[in-house]
Amino acid sequence: LPFDFRLPDVGEGIEAAQIVDWKVRPGDRVDQDGPLVEIETDKAIVAIPSPTSGVVLRLGAEAGETLRVGDVLVVLDGADGGVAHEDRSQTDEIDGLAAGAAKAAGRPLASPAVRKLALERGIDLTQVEGGGPHGRIRRTDLEGVPAPASPGPDVAPARADAVEPLRGIRRSIARTLTHSWQTIPHVIDYREADATALDALRRTLRDSAGEAGDAQLAGALTITPLLVRMAATLLPRHRSLNAAVDMEREQVTFHGSIDIGVATATSEGLLVPVVRDADGKSLRAIALELAELAPAARAGKLTRAQLTGATFTVNNFGALGAWLGTPIIGPGQTANLGVGRMERRAVVRGDEVVVRPVLTLACAADHRLIDGDTLASFVTDFVRLVEEPALLLQELR
Amino acid sequence: MVVGELAESADLLVVGAGPGGYVAAARAAQLGRTVTVVDRGAPEGGLGGACLHVGCIPSKALIELAGAYEHARRPRVGGLELDGARVDLPAFQAWKRAIVERLATGVENLLAAQGVELVTGALRFNKPDQAVVALPDGQSRYFEFEQALIATGSRPASLAPLPFDGERVLTSTDVLGLDRVPGSLAVVGAGYIGLEIGQALAKLGSQVSVIEAADRVLPALDEALAEPVMRGLARLGVEVHLSSVVVGLDGDDLAYANEEGRGTVPAERVLVAIGRVPNTDDLGLPAVGVPVDDAGLIAVDERMLASASIAAIGDVTSGPALAHRASAQGIVAAEALSGVPAAFDPAGVPAIVFTDPEIASVGLTEQQARAGGFDVAVTTVPLAASGRAATIGEDDGFTRVVADRSDDRVLGVQMVGPHASELIAEATLAIEMVASPEDLRGTIHPHPTLSEGLHAAAARLAPRPARR
Repeated sequence: LPFDFRLPDVGEGIEAAQIVDWKVRPGDRVDQDGPLVEIETDKAIVAIPSPTSGVVLRLGAEAGETLRVGDVLVVLDGADGGVAHEDRSQTDEIDGLAAGAAKAAGRPLASPAVRKLALERGIDLTQVEGGGPHGRIRRTDLEGVPAPASPGPDVAPARADAVEPLRGIRRSIARTLTHSWQTIPHVIDYREADATALDALRRTLRDSAGEAGDAQLAGALTITPLLVRMAATLLPRHRSLNAAVDMEREQVTFHGSIDIGVATATSEGLLVPVVRDADGKSLRAIALELAELAPAARAGKLTRAQLTGATFTVNNFGALGAWLGTPIIGPGQTANLGVGRMERRAVVRGDEVVVRPVLTLACAADHRLIDGDTLASFVTDFVRLVEEPALLLQELR
Repeated sequence: MVVGELAESADLLVVGAGPGGYVAAARAAQLGRTVTVVDRGAPEGGLGGACLHVGCIPSKALIELAGAYEHARRPRVGGLELDGARVDLPAFQAWKRAIVERLATGVENLLAAQGVELVTGALRFNKPDQAVVALPDGQSRYFEFEQALIATGSRPASLAPLPFDGERVLTSTDVLGLDRVPGSLAVVGAGYIGLEIGQALAKLGSQVSVIEAADRVLPALDEALAEPVMRGLARLGVEVHLSSVVVGLDGDDLAYANEEGRGTVPAERVLVAIGRVPNTDDLGLPAVGVPVDDAGLIAVDERMLASASIAAIGDVTSGPALAHRASAQGIVAAEALSGVPAAFDPAGVPAIVFTDPEIASVGLTEQQARAGGFDVAVTTVPLAASGRAATIGEDDGFTRVVADRSDDRVLGVQMVGPHASELIAEATLAIEMVASPEDLRGTIHPHPTLSEGLHAAAARLAPRPARR
């Protein structure tokens, strides 16, 4: 018949003890003097054997709980013996599910197809930052993620290489540019433009703002806002340069607005703040906006919205000293106009060699949509505006 | 050396043709491997394994019969009167055999189409790269293999003082093969097998009692899931003795003991369903250097590899003993052994119980999610709110969604009610796709269906912002 086995007095004046580890579970058969439980007093851990043979019906306390001497430790069916039975498979099921909970906590947020792709490419998903909601890893997030290098020859390099993870803006730039460079066939039109008139206009405008006491505007009137204004003026007539090609759907989007990104070097990397609806803004407004955006970009204060969604990009790499560059087209765009450093150069006018300020232009376009003649037509118009900026007046509404 | 010991060479040797083994064999053959499948054959084996021959499929056939009979006698819909419904178990057995044979032929054709060789016999490893198969005719065949995949499954665990005798003390296999409904059935073990078969026999007219050592039925599942099943057992007049242990047969009865003392339940037949033990004890595993743990299970990695050349899948590995888990692992093992990157890393393995009402669960329960340290949000929608459930006449149950607020994703779904076994697949997909409750809410569910339960529960976790 069932009987209660109570926590015995284990001596030394102990009144209570904590259950450390049960050696049996309900349903288990236990032999007389067989291991039953380990308890911990404030003196020692003591193993308590079963007082009789029988079947465990109920445990008086779980591991970690404390019992006082005399409390029921375990209920045993100690008579001629019940039959021990245990349900192993169910226990496994519980263990399996509990293990699942632990696993679920650290697992990358990725669907089976993405997990399979990562496996095939040898990508460790725990190291991939997901671009989806709440960090979900999408198939596109795996693009540009390098597979771990296969172990090379087992020779220590003379000087250790520094291996650092790509993070933050750098990683974002790396992914974006890899994607652009790998997917967009670039066609580039290189030109030189006589910037005499442009330079004169810029000086006139700046001096005029200075004389009017508008130091802010005077400082903002670099060559970049003029170039942005010119692009904004021309793009409505060259809509394929203000567009996007989607090869998955095999369609072209001609952007409804003209949002011009201006490539800006920052300590973290290249950022492209965007002047929205540039075609509807005056030169003054564009100049002032750029004068605010560029320092804010360098200070890392721009929002994602201010840094994405350009429909065309102007890249004044001349500010970095470059004479000529190779612009790379950004996502969602079909063109990037690079502008080199304005330099006084020897040029031929008539039969004379004369010295003129010269601006080099390198306009990259997405060849999938834009052929050389289409691109040349835009660049020719642009060069004309640079050389005769007074035409801006005619173009302006 | 006798001629018979001349070893044949095998590229990939698959041991066991159950839902794990045959799926693995077919996948490996697809990948260009030369595959030999060894299966011990009837009664517990054969193409499709225990699942097809003596498990999943036959038990579902019996449950369907019992449900139809129950429905005929006590219609759950209004306006139906049926007289003279009668159960003909021999006719049922013939129907069941036809189903099993047809499905087994399907497996046979699948393997034949992939060029898989099938050998019937009991396999035992005898060298690190060799196995001997005892054929039914007493002869032996030797196979020298490059790789082996162990998919030998499990068998019902026995209770020492109640040894299976095939007459009175029965395995689930025996009960599923009965051609007469016993007057009384004592079920030892209130796990899913015991309850599924116990309820079915109760519907067919047996006086059924259940003895369970734990303090509730379905101890492996979340407690809330078991409650409607307890009510279902009560409706069928099934006597349940919890926190009780079996003492032994006592005349026509089965004696049990618990804290209150002893009792007996009527036991013309006894079903012992206390779990399953892996079939790893008679495989000669030491010869190939693959150890088993105390429970007889083989340790494997994510690729299901137990060693460089030996994989193990299904019930012989740790985890829930479920056919669909074995099949999924079989694909992984076949690919891993064939040099294709693969890992068994499901976000959830659905578990389903064909009790009345049905239970289905995938992913984490609320308790597991809290223990796992998630930012838990839980909602439960009772089946009583479902118009479709009302017209089916079965509205005891619920749908529960467990979500994580910080990642905004569904962690687990539990369901109790009609067709829960069918409905859980959507929840499983949601969890695998890292869906948020809003993803489920934003997906139109057809009306009127039981699938609206998941939609309604998810919608409560994805409140739409109030209009500003």
